[in-house]
Amino acid sequence: GRGGMGGGAKVMVEPHRHSGVFIARGKEDSLVTKNMVTGVSVYGEKRIAVDDPATGEKVEYRVWNPFRSKVAAAILGGVDNIFIGPGTKLLYLGAASGTTVSHCSDIVGPEGVVYAVEFSHRSGRDLIEMAKKRPNIVPIIEDARHPLRYRMLVGMVDTVFADVAQPDQARIVALNSQYFLKQGGHCVISIKANCIDSTVPAAHVFAKEIKKLQEEKFKPLEQLTLEPYERDHAVVVAVYRSTGGAKK
Amino acid sequence: MFILHETASGYALFMHTDDASTDTSDLSRFSKTVKLVSFAPFQSAAHALENINAVSDAACHAYLSTFLNQNVAKKGVVAVLDPKLGNAIQEACPNIKVTASETAQEIIRGVRSYLTRFLTGVEDADIVKAQLGLAHSYSRSKVKFNVHRSDNMII
Repeated sequence: GRGGMGGGAKVMVEPHRHSGVFIARGKEDSLVTKNMVTGVSVYGEKRIAVDDPATGEKVEYRVWNPFRSKVAAAILGGVDNIFIGPGTKLLYLGAASGTTVSHCSDIVGPEGVVYAVEFSHRSGRDLIEMAKKRPNIVPIIEDARHPLRYRMLVGMVDTVFADVAQPDQARIVALNSQYFLKQGGHCVISIKANCIDSTVPAAHVFAKEIKKLQEEKFKPLEQLTLEPYERDHAVVVAVYRSTGGAKK
Repeated sequence: MFILHETASGYALFMHTDDASTDTSDLSRFSKTVKLVSFAPFQSAAHALENINAVSDAACHAYLSTFLNQNVAKKGVVAVLDPKLGNAIQEACPNIKVTASETAQEIIRGVRSYLTRFLTGVEDADIVKAQLGLAHSYSRSKVKFNVHRSDNMII
C-alpha cells in the first residue's frame, strides 16, 4: 500500500544486469519489475512509484520477493542468464496462482508472451482472473503431462520454465519442449529435491535430473542452488537441440 | 503428404513435398517444401471452443472431417501430431490415410515455428490474439465445470 518502502522516501530504481528486471535502492535494496498494470498489486506485493528522470512521468514498479519466487531467487542467486527478457515467448509450467507469472509478464512486456499452464483449478481461477488484466498472459488450465491437449493454444517458444514439483518433471519438460521449444531455445527448471526422491542427498537428485535432461536433447549450461531462499532446491538452465558443434 | 495443423483460429492443411528431408532448421529450404492447401477458420468463439474441446479429447469434430474430406484427395495421406486424433480421423474419413510418424512431428514443429510464413496476411500478433481469446474461454470452461470443485492434484 501507499507508496511502500517508507512511503515517499527517496527511492532510486536502476536496471538489473538481467534486462527487464530492476533494483530499487532505498532503505533496503529490493528486486522489482516494471508494473504493466499501474495501480494494481497482484498478490499484495508493495508497489513503488518513481519519477522517470527523462520524461518526468511516474513509473511504477512491483517488489519481487525471492522467498516467494524461484525465478527471483535464481536472479538474486547470480544465475548467469535466466533467458526471460523483454520480448521472450515463455512457456511456464506450474503457474500456480500466477504470482511469479505476473512478474514474468512485466519482464517480457507487450512484445512477449507467457503461456501459463496450471492444472489445479483452485489456483487456476486466480490465474485466469489475474490474466484478464494482462494481455500477454495466455492462461491454460490443463495437465502439463499432456501438452497435446493444449497444442492449439501455444506457439513456438524461446524458453520453457518449469516448477511443477513432480517426480517426472524432466519428462514433462521434454514432452513440452518436443512440441513447443524452438531449436536452440532454453529450459529453466526448478528442482525440489525431496519432490523427486527424498531418500538420497539433494546433490544426487540434481545430478540425476540433469542426466535425464541430457537424454532428451538438452545440454546443461548452469546449475545453481537457491540458498538462502529455498532449501534443497536447485535451478538448472539448459539449451535445447543446440547446434553448437558438429553432432546433431 | 498433407499436414494437418490445428490453430486457435482454425484448421490449417499444408502440403509437404520433400519426403526425403525433415530438417526444419533452414527456413529458406524448409519453406520451399511446405505450401498451404486450405484453411478452415472457426466461425465464432463458441465454435472454436467446441473444436478445441474435440481436439483435446482426440475426437474428430464434424467440421474437421468435412474439411479433410473436401481437401484431401482419395487415398491421400494426412500427417497429424496426435496419433489418437489420427485414429479418430481415420474412422471418420475412411477414404484418406492418416499417419502420425516421427517425421510428421518434426515437420509440424517446423510449421509451428514459421506459421506466419505459410499463412499470408497473418501476423504473429494475430496468432497470439486468437490463442489468448481461446485460452480464456477454454480455461474458464475447465474451472467452471469441474465437478470435484477442488484440486485435481494433491502432492
